[in-house]
Amino acid sequence: MSDTISDVTVSLTVNGRRHTVTCEPRKLLTDVLRDDLLLTGTHVGCEHGACGACTVLLDGAAVRSCLLFAAQLDGATLTTVEGMANADGSLNDVQQAMQDNHGLQCGFCTPGVVVSLTAYLRDHPDPTDDEIRIALSGNLCRCTGYQGIVNAARQAAVNPRAKGVAR
Amino acid sequence: MTTTVGRYIGQSVKRREDPRLLTGHGRYVDDVQVPGTLHLAFVRSNVARGTITKLDVSAARDLPGVEAVYTGADLNPDIKQMWATMTGPPIEMGGQTAYPPVSLLAPGDVRYVGDPIAVIIATSRYIAEDAADLVEVEIEAKQAVLGLREAMANPELVHLETESNVSVAMPMPEIPEIEALFASAPHVITRTFRGARATNVPMEPRGLTVHYDRYRGEMEIRAATQSVHEIKAFAARLTGLGESHVRVVADDVGGGFGQKMMVLREEAAVIAAAFKLGTAPVKWIEDRRENLMASNQARSEEGTLTFAVDDDGHILAVKCDFIEEIGAYPPSAGATAMLAIGVFTGPYKIPVLIPGCAAVYTNTVGKSAYRGPWALETFFREQMMDHVAHELGMDPIELRRVNLIGPGDLPYTTATQMVLDHITPTETLDQAVDMIGVTAFRAEQVDAKAHGRLLGLGVAGYVEPSAIAFGVLNSDPAVLTMDASGKVQIRLGTGSHGHSIETTIAQIVATHLGCDIDDVAVIQGDTATSPLGPGTGGSRTAVIAGGAAQTASLILRDKLLTIAAHFLEANPDDLEINNSVVSVKGTPQAAVPFAQLAMTAHMAPDMLPAGMGPGLEVVTRYQPPTPFTWSNATHACIVEVDRETGMVDIKRYVVSEDCGQMINPMVVEGQIAGGVAQGIGGVLFEEMPYDDAGNPLATTFLDYLIPSAPEIPDFEYGHIESMSGALGGYKGMGEGGAIASPPALANAINDALAQIGVPPLTVFPFGPSQIVAAITAAHV
Amino acid sequence: MKPSKFHYYAPATVGEAVLLLAEHGDDAKVLAGGQSLVPLMSLRLSSVGHLVDLNRIAGLDTIGRSNGHLRIGALVRQSAAEHSAIVVTEAPLVAKALPHIGHFQIRNRGTVGGSIAHADPASELPAVALALDAMLEATGPNGARRIASTDFFHGQWQTALAGDEMLTAIDFPVWGAHSGFAVEEVARRHGDFALCGAVCGVQLDGERISRATIGLFGVGSTPIRATLAEQALLAGGAGTDLTAVANEAAASIDPSGDIHASGAYRKQVTAVVVRRALTKAIEEARS
Repeated sequence: MSDTISDVTVSLTVNGRRHTVTCEPRKLLTDVLRDDLLLTGTHVGCEHGACGACTVLLDGAAVRSCLLFAAQLDGATLTTVEGMANADGSLNDVQQAMQDNHGLQCGFCTPGVVVSLTAYLRDHPDPTDDEIRIALSGNLCRCTGYQGIVNAARQAAVNPRAKGVAR
Repeated sequence: MTTTVGRYIGQSVKRREDPRLLTGHGRYVDDVQVPGTLHLAFVRSNVARGTITKLDVSAARDLPGVEAVYTGADLNPDIKQMWATMTGPPIEMGGQTAYPPVSLLAPGDVRYVGDPIAVIIATSRYIAEDAADLVEVEIEAKQAVLGLREAMANPELVHLETESNVSVAMPMPEIPEIEALFASAPHVITRTFRGARATNVPMEPRGLTVHYDRYRGEMEIRAATQSVHEIKAFAARLTGLGESHVRVVADDVGGGFGQKMMVLREEAAVIAAAFKLGTAPVKWIEDRRENLMASNQARSEEGTLTFAVDDDGHILAVKCDFIEEIGAYPPSAGATAMLAIGVFTGPYKIPVLIPGCAAVYTNTVGKSAYRGPWALETFFREQMMDHVAHELGMDPIELRRVNLIGPGDLPYTTATQMVLDHITPTETLDQAVDMIGVTAFRAEQVDAKAHGRLLGLGVAGYVEPSAIAFGVLNSDPAVLTMDASGKVQIRLGTGSHGHSIETTIAQIVATHLGCDIDDVAVIQGDTATSPLGPGTGGSRTAVIAGGAAQTASLILRDKLLTIAAHFLEANPDDLEINNSVVSVKGTPQAAVPFAQLAMTAHMAPDMLPAGMGPGLEVVTRYQPPTPFTWSNATHACIVEVDRETGMVDIKRYVVSEDCGQMINPMVVEGQIAGGVAQGIGGVLFEEMPYDDAGNPLATTFLDYLIPSAPEIPDFEYGHIESMSGALGGYKGMGEGGAIASPPALANAINDALAQIGVPPLTVFPFGPSQIVAAITAAHV
Repeated sequence: MKPSKFHYYAPATVGEAVLLLAEHGDDAKVLAGGQSLVPLMSLRLSSVGHLVDLNRIAGLDTIGRSNGHLRIGALVRQSAAEHSAIVVTEAPLVAKALPHIGHFQIRNRGTVGGSIAHADPASELPAVALALDAMLEATGPNGARRIASTDFFHGQWQTALAGDEMLTAIDFPVWGAHSGFAVEEVARRHGDFALCGAVCGVQLDGERISRATIGLFGVGSTPIRATLAEQALLAGGAGTDLTAVANEAAASIDPSGDIHASGAYRKQVTAVVVRRALTKAIEEARS
């Protein structure tokens, strides 16, 4: 039996634009986004699903792009950090709150944080402080000690219940 | 309490770095794609110590897509020189050298698990890893050399080229008068403390792209680095190319904490491999398993402290003996203990210090810098203070107060001849104690205990030797230019990797020049355009690069005022600058904008004052007036320990810090928070254990645990701003958060456990397993 | 950390999927959520020559009640189950366990069936399946069969599934009124694998405990039922000394240690999590 593995061709809609990609079945979504589609905002922090830097939205749900093969996603709709800003190009509420509250320093974990928080607050607009921290537990950050990110989440949420004052 | 200077200094100005980083438009090393780039993967040893008996790369070489495979035999002979600028060229002194034996790839034997044996260069990382799997390696394993004291005494050598596993040692002297002092002291307390081996874990692992074109004779490097100039100098020496033919660029860098300060083994191998290839760019992006297994270690240190104390708690004398584990191939072989000794007395008046130290090789990954590399002195000293207080039946805060350097003691010369000035240990202790509410807490603690809950309070103080300004690190440059439109560019030798330098330096320049902050472009991270500097690390940028930026701004401001005075026929002292317009004080209509001054200087120099040459360029360097610029802080935290599960909940965390004039308070607080989180990690979660065969046991994020958001508390900050003696009054503070947090947390946990009679833990980490074991052993 | 090459298939039916498994034997693996499998492939710890992607198969992602059971399709995403009202009411122990699994991004992809079939002894869902005496529906080329959870978990990452079978549904028995459930675990950080954990359920008949289950995870090569402790509860009723019951549960296990916690720790703290879980379960049953 031949061991030649054929490439696959998939059609992906990313940030509203349709792309056709041909690649090996084993090519991870992170690498297709970054190398084939030149969307380098999605970052590779661990390649085993733990750090969250690679988080993107798949049909609106926050997922680890490093744990998906592009081959699985023919017809899928993806949103990456490059698609988080408002239609007019301005920063979305989460992004603006991150800037207002110094929620980033080196910026490497930031795309995953922005995508994860945007999705989380969309689905849970009124979280407590504990809920915010638990929601962030899947995004590892080494620079900020999470304080600025938590403050950003408080600001961006529709938020009477959480204590703490954003800057 | 924060002070604002001029328009921007002291303001929490929002960062200009953020728009690109928030939207996925950062430019990290892996983000830049050059057509034709080849990808490199390493073949690594899975044995800690042994001889390579077989190394067959033929199948790897033959795999389609593989461009080249190099082994130690291919690359090691090409080494011209291999040493770190900060450590200096290797000097043989009485058999002791500051470096381990140098090699790029394993020289016939391997010395740690992860030791690079070969490099594969291929058209994709996927293919390179496929090829790596085809390399046939056989290693005759020998027993690994591990442990601290065990490795010191072990006749089996990590490096056959050395005489022992001790690389650097300063034995503790025996001085009869000192022994007599200890013999007669009312209290003599000895304790040994042990840190847990950790690693830096920047969220972006290491990586670089190296392009050497032999026909152009130029090497271009793009790297995730804290210092482009260091890579440039290192690469120039390694290859013999010379610095004029090497250019290094770093745009965005995803953290480093010291790991990206020195050129480590793999980066050197990539440079050598690309040089040998001489054609296409070669890119190596470290993956997380490599980063956790084979980048660097830190914190594997032991300290034995002996304090002689009188009945009132005055510390009469201290002996400190440090052992640090430096692994197999540290980029330089162990000087952190020396600096630790130099600053060991910290914020206290300790009149006598008798030190000893040793650095020991083991068959593990090499030690490199990690945020506050010398901080073992604070980790151990501040835990010791609580032990001493316990022995004497004193409150730990009171014991500190008795010994603290107060305002009236400044300047204070320590037992190691360091001159401390412009520090505020008592003020920060007072503020931290006040903010955490010690009296109220002690009542709450008693009440909680009655309800079966264990709360604890811990405090730690330190003095930070920021902004090293002697030897290789003596100064930082600034080149400030104004273009014909009146806007400025400042070029620095820094290497921001999360430090907000593009914003904070612009704050300094805009304030002192009198222009809008958006008119100041900050340029760093490209050796073609950035003047020679050591990069960013060691908490130096605010003081030294900030001082250089301030100096340059004032020089340029002076020139602009001189030109304006000439135009306005006024005295320069009667002029003021607002928003890039120079005007006569009180006569706003007598004004001339920067643009006009600049256009004149560039294009119509005949209209300049007599004797003034054309152009608007300032080239300057700044060296602070003292070899260190001291900053200080006191941390206080409250924890709850679940005595049944050993889990620790940090309920409050207070930092009272003094970093002099804050440029951007938001940035200061962010640096503190990140550092404290790392300190918490080092006490509760982070450990890189090796088994008896030298296999690393925490090589993914499932096993090497860095804190996530639920494990970190909200932080409370107090700021004391006492000016430093450096220009602008700035002090460095970037490392401080990571320095005091481990002992503050350790002390809090031990304070909680002491209530049920559990002796203090002294070996990090204080994980749940260790805490429950301690409680069980105490039969309480 | 890139995976090695594999042939990729996206069958549209269970039948096609299991034929592929039969054809390629040990060299084939199924891909459901991928949250456990893909890291192993990227680390090259798991060699997969033929990857059978189950995510195109329709009909495996439904949740419904039938015959006193809550049937959860194997490909139901953990997040879907977590937010399903019917799971909360009909299988509260499943609903309580789900938020402990990793992080919400993991649960958006991870599947209920995948977690159970992966059979990590430190995971919550295998323990829940065991504790609730779930029935696991496995389908192979010759059709479907039902495997009792007590027969399903053979060892660490080893189950009763044959090489050519895939899990297609899990039936969780529905407990009636006056029942209470709780999940208690100790993990180093939020979302980490448990050092030790307990999933408990009790059903009250007055002060008598008519039904009790204690499932332990993180403390053996499979999830474990603390059957002696359960019997003590049934004998003792709602006023039983729960510390004694919990100690009985801990006495029945012999966990090994690793870098995160010693075996002694896991054994000792199992008693704590069992006691705390039972306390909560009984309180919930009473309310």
